Amino acid sequence: MFDYTFQWKQAMAKLPQMLDGAVVTMEVAVLSMVIGILLAVVLTLLRLSGSRPLAAIATTWVEIARNTPALFQIYMAHFGVASFGIHFSPFVSLLIGITFNNAGYLAENFRGALKAIPETQTRAGRSLGMSQLQAFRYIILPQMLRIAFLPMTNQMVWAILMTSLGVTVGMNTDLYGVTQDLNALTFRTFELFAIAAVIFYVITKIITLGARLLAARLFRY
Amino acid sequence: MFDTALTANDLIFLAKGAGMTILVTIISVAIGTVLGILFGVVRVQLGAALAAPLTFVLDIFRSIPLLIQLVLANAFAGMVLKLQMSGLTVACMVLSLYTAAYCAEIVRGGIDAVPATTRRAARSLGMSWGQDMRYIVMPLATRVALPSWIGLALGVMKDSALVYVVQVTELLKSTQILITRLQEPMFLLLLCGAFYFIISLPLARFGGYLEKRWSND
Amino acid sequence: MKTFTLTAALLTATTLAGTAQADKLDDIISSGTLRCAVVLDFPPMGMRDDSNTPIGFDVDYCNDLAAALGVEAEIVETPFPERIPALMSGRVDVGVASTSDTLERAKTVGFSVPYFAFEMAVTSNDEAGITSFEDMKGHTVGAVAGTYEAIALQAQVEAWGEGSFRPYQTQADVFLALSQGQLDATVSTSTVAQANVQSGNFDGISVVGKAPFDTDYVALFAKRDEYGLLNYLNLFVNQQVRTGRYAELYETWVGGELPDLTVGGVYR
Repeated sequence: MFDYTFQWKQAMAKLPQMLDGAVVTMEVAVLSMVIGILLAVVLTLLRLSGSRPLAAIATTWVEIARNTPALFQIYMAHFGVASFGIHFSPFVSLLIGITFNNAGYLAENFRGALKAIPETQTRAGRSLGMSQLQAFRYIILPQMLRIAFLPMTNQMVWAILMTSLGVTVGMNTDLYGVTQDLNALTFRTFELFAIAAVIFYVITKIITLGARLLAARLFRY
Repeated sequence: MFDTALTANDLIFLAKGAGMTILVTIISVAIGTVLGILFGVVRVQLGAALAAPLTFVLDIFRSIPLLIQLVLANAFAGMVLKLQMSGLTVACMVLSLYTAAYCAEIVRGGIDAVPATTRRAARSLGMSWGQDMRYIVMPLATRVALPSWIGLALGVMKDSALVYVVQVTELLKSTQILITRLQEPMFLLLLCGAFYFIISLPLARFGGYLEKRWSND
Repeated sequence: MKTFTLTAALLTATTLAGTAQADKLDDIISSGTLRCAVVLDFPPMGMRDDSNTPIGFDVDYCNDLAAALGVEAEIVETPFPERIPALMSGRVDVGVASTSDTLERAKTVGFSVPYFAFEMAVTSNDEAGITSFEDMKGHTVGAVAGTYEAIALQAQVEAWGEGSFRPYQTQADVFLALSQGQLDATVSTSTVAQANVQSGNFDGISVVGKAPFDTDYVALFAKRDEYGLLNYLNLFVNQQVRTGRYAELYETWVGGELPDLTVGGVYR
């Protein structure tokens, strides 16, 4: 039954290429996270703005990001928008797709976090002479980011896992893309993807541990 | 707005894809939830140290891209074990374990949210462990866990888009097949997005309703 | 003692061989179904008609093979990069998927003799101003990941030292990206290029010339240790040519001059 011959040597020889891919994966994930957080803050502000059209835009974004597959969003960012003559390279398409997804989910997390911050704090800030924006910036935002820190860590892990979908839009420099390319050439499917799985696992562990250390440092009173 | 060559036939083709998406989701969420509750309870009962191996294994499913899990499971079952499994079987197996891994976390969180004093009170009233779980922990933990569980079910529905990799033609793959023939990417993708929206909206709304209802008391 | 061990080993081997399970060929015949891996975004070899039913040269070839075996054909759609993994994971019995018989692949699967031969053509987006293979230098070009032409084209782009190469997972995505202008040009088999240009589905692309790659012989494939099945496939390909069925299918789906499947000056 177990007569499959594993060819680990052949697969391990590709490790340097795969590690290069892991670096690209990290680039995409970190960029999509940084931009995603900024966009999510903007979306949260839009929802708080009291303007119906602005809030509607933000809500639509969040709903689409949360109710369609990430693969769909990435495919849309490449092949969908190209129908209007807008072209993005695979890297940029992947980045846009994941960032769109990140921003939507994070905005929803921020909404939940805001509920935990009493409205009276904003009013207190206002009565100290702060503008609405200042009150948000100096009182609400730091607390919001703190409460939403754990969900943000989870989203970061998802962002890393989502980079594997770039392969559908012609991305071949990230970890999954490199692995799939090698697989198409040598067909050592199991060995290659097992190595990729280990690399992904290590990356996510480093991220979660790093986030825990960061949280301990940032949020001590 | 759109001048399309789409026929009723193609819509049925898309609907079949949507049906496959729903089928895979229901099977995986059902099996995954049962397993997840089991794993979650076991983890709480055993304590962190004893449950470490289980925690480790479940964590793997949450740390590796689903696409790789599917490819690996497919390759392992077919190449190494030489089992004759349909793509649908592989897809449901992987997605079930994937669901179970997340569900176990949710269940654990739910049980942990029940105050220890409440449970001790129940036990001191003479309730057995089973009675305590059944009449005290379950109702309280469900309130905490259900909204997250709905989020998980929706997540699995969307993640099922990846089972194309084991030759299962679900909604997104059906859309790509139609794009190949009709060359109307934007229109077909919007249609596909609408399908996903229609599938997930009722459940998402229900989740929002529960969240609102249960958070105020 | 040594003789004894040897005899014992031989005896065991014979007994085992005697009781060994039926081979793949037997399995297919007794299961009553032949599962073929076919690429369905690769007209005219594999595609779908208006009711989304698989049709094409490869689909007919699989049907013929099933008929010869006296079983039902089941078409399993596989994108190009998934063809061989689908066979290796037991999802299909044979590949009738326009697969180039490269030596790298032969390390993994067993190939029959060639059943079709392709010429490679350059197709470009009209706005890119590319009129020959050499014009592609410095442009964004692409092909289907892992195919014969993709490997050759990627090597060429690296040799040119400018421009970029983009692999997509399916042939459909390549032509979609080409017609959208995301790619300036692609190298593909001339048949799929002609079929796509003539389909009228893609605006603004044209076949602009041949790619100077060797003739791409494609073969049926099966598990490399299934000699019984591979032997059958070889004879089947031979019979298809001998009986004129090959020419008939070529006329139906492609048309024009029938490609020669033999190579001069060497035995296979």
